[in-house]
Amino acid sequence: MRKALALAAGLLALAQPCLAEEGYSLPAYTAAYEPRTVDERGLWMDADDYEKLWAGSPTRINDKELNDYVRRVLCQTVGRDRCASVRIYILDIPAFNASMTANGAMSVWSGLLLRVRSEAELGAVLGHEFAHFELRHSLKGFQNRRTTSDVMAWIEVLGSIAQRDVRDAQLSLIGSAYRFDRQQEKDADLLGLRYLGASSYPSRAASEVWQHLMEEADATAAGRKIRRQQRYQAGFFDTHPTELSRADYLLAEAMKIGDTGDAGAKSHYAAIAGQLPRFLASQTKLNDFAGTEYILSGIAATTGWTGELLQARADMFATRANPRDLITATTLYLNAIDAGYRRPETLRGLGLSLIKSGQREEGARYLSEYLEAVPGAPDAKLISFYLPQPTGNPK
Amino acid sequence: MDKVCRVFALFLFACCATAASAQEKTGIKQGFELKPGTARILLLEPSVRVGAQSTGGLFEPNADWTAQSKQNIERELVAIQGRLGNAIDRHELDATDSSADLRRYHALFGAVADSVIEYQFFPGNRLPSKKKDKRLFEWSVGPGLRALPALDGYDYILVIRTKDAFGSTGRKLLQFAAAMGGIGVQSGEHVGMAGLIDVRSGDLVWLNADLKMGGDVRTAEGANKRVRQLLEGFPGRGAE
Repeated sequence: MRKALALAAGLLALAQPCLAEEGYSLPAYTAAYEPRTVDERGLWMDADDYEKLWAGSPTRINDKELNDYVRRVLCQTVGRDRCASVRIYILDIPAFNASMTANGAMSVWSGLLLRVRSEAELGAVLGHEFAHFELRHSLKGFQNRRTTSDVMAWIEVLGSIAQRDVRDAQLSLIGSAYRFDRQQEKDADLLGLRYLGASSYPSRAASEVWQHLMEEADATAAGRKIRRQQRYQAGFFDTHPTELSRADYLLAEAMKIGDTGDAGAKSHYAAIAGQLPRFLASQTKLNDFAGTEYILSGIAATTGWTGELLQARADMFATRANPRDLITATTLYLNAIDAGYRRPETLRGLGLSLIKSGQREEGARYLSEYLEAVPGAPDAKLISFYLPQPTGNPK
Repeated sequence: MDKVCRVFALFLFACCATAASAQEKTGIKQGFELKPGTARILLLEPSVRVGAQSTGGLFEPNADWTAQSKQNIERELVAIQGRLGNAIDRHELDATDSSADLRRYHALFGAVADSVIEYQFFPGNRLPSKKKDKRLFEWSVGPGLRALPALDGYDYILVIRTKDAFGSTGRKLLQFAAAMGGIGVQSGEHVGMAGLIDVRSGDLVWLNADLKMGGDVRTAEGANKRVRQLLEGFPGRGAE
């Protein structure tokens, strides 16, 4: 019986070559790593100082629920033993980015949390950043930059003395430095994918992150009437592989892993719900109409058009403020109110849209409601200008 | 192509171009006077960074040198603080609720002092508004300091920043080889700045800043020399 079981297990192992293949198990991990060489200890010292600035930064989002959520996704992606060495700092910056310092401090930008569409996509980016840490990329990148600039300095000096043209040599060195950066990014991508493969999240999500980013860039380009620019081949000065190539090789690798699982789309939006209005307000201020529309419909695909999303969309139209936009904005504000979202900023936006489209009385009613709701509003004086003035002789 | 190379060459040798010789090192706000025994001053924990300069000019931070130098400089500051004419308290940056703000003001002071060096201390590079009256010294970090609880009861803060990059052997060899060919390459960088800031207005009332400070801060004697240089001409200090 035992033999039969062993045989069956052996057959099973044969039937799932991908999962058993050595490449997809995670490398051994040293917990509580301490910097070793002079270079590394120096970089960690700098990173410690830098981290203190993150910790006290006014852009840092301290909301405990959100911080717990991001940590949970990181731990679920890279595993509990690994994530214990990371400190996470969420920064209110409306762009897609996250970063990792040499000493294990990770910054996560609010624009990233707004753009990823599931826990798995967030895990893919956090895993990529963690891979930079595990592979000691800060150190290796620094050493590579130093070696390159050392050689360049010698070539420059010797070339000048010998009066020889050294531009070609210099250029190829510059090119090699950027190529090195791109290779590090690709290595981090691939290790990050292995974390996803080993986690409960589907590894295909990693490729989707880049697909959505390309679609957003295309939308922005179309909205601004400029040429779309998705390329496969990275440019000379690119520090990262292009989005298209990342989407491509990550998908190919994910298919080799062939795992499935719950990406956690609904739970992602539930976790960021408390901060969503703030994220959206920062995003709409970027004046990227088409790009923001793309992000909003991406969220609505999962959550439906909630009051927060309607408010954000209304704000976009109200900001552009063509006569036709004001009609759309008014409708969207009213829709938001119908959906149960009646925040002071909704009343303010609705009131102003109505007044700008000529409906002064209606608009003034909503604006006075706004002032009642927030008596100390910073724009109270400006808004009260739109209200019916008490009779008398105004100056 | 040509442009690219030139940009990088500039980047590599930027350090050679910065230090022209006829440069001022001290500024004091017009009409500012500090009599001994009239003010309370808070000395913030100094920012000390020490490392090496690679052949290509990169800063290589060194944790051991930095720790040693910081200890040396702190010790010299303790030794000199009783002789500066006014009551001086010391303050660790991590010690209070205001530490995040103070850390930012520390960095902001560094940026302002950099601008003073660039746009006031180099006479040839003076901004138009600084040209009219040479004695004019109008620099500020803004009025937010007085709102910080940690600065309650203080009239001024004294902020000190130093950064030392010691030329590596490779850098020195490069400098030597370049000199043979008649090219100037600077080896090492020793920046120090000490500033007195009015807590109520945020005005920089006194600044000592130099891109070529003396004293090897890694040694006790060097740190002594550096601190004396940093606090040379400190307002309210009697003649020694």
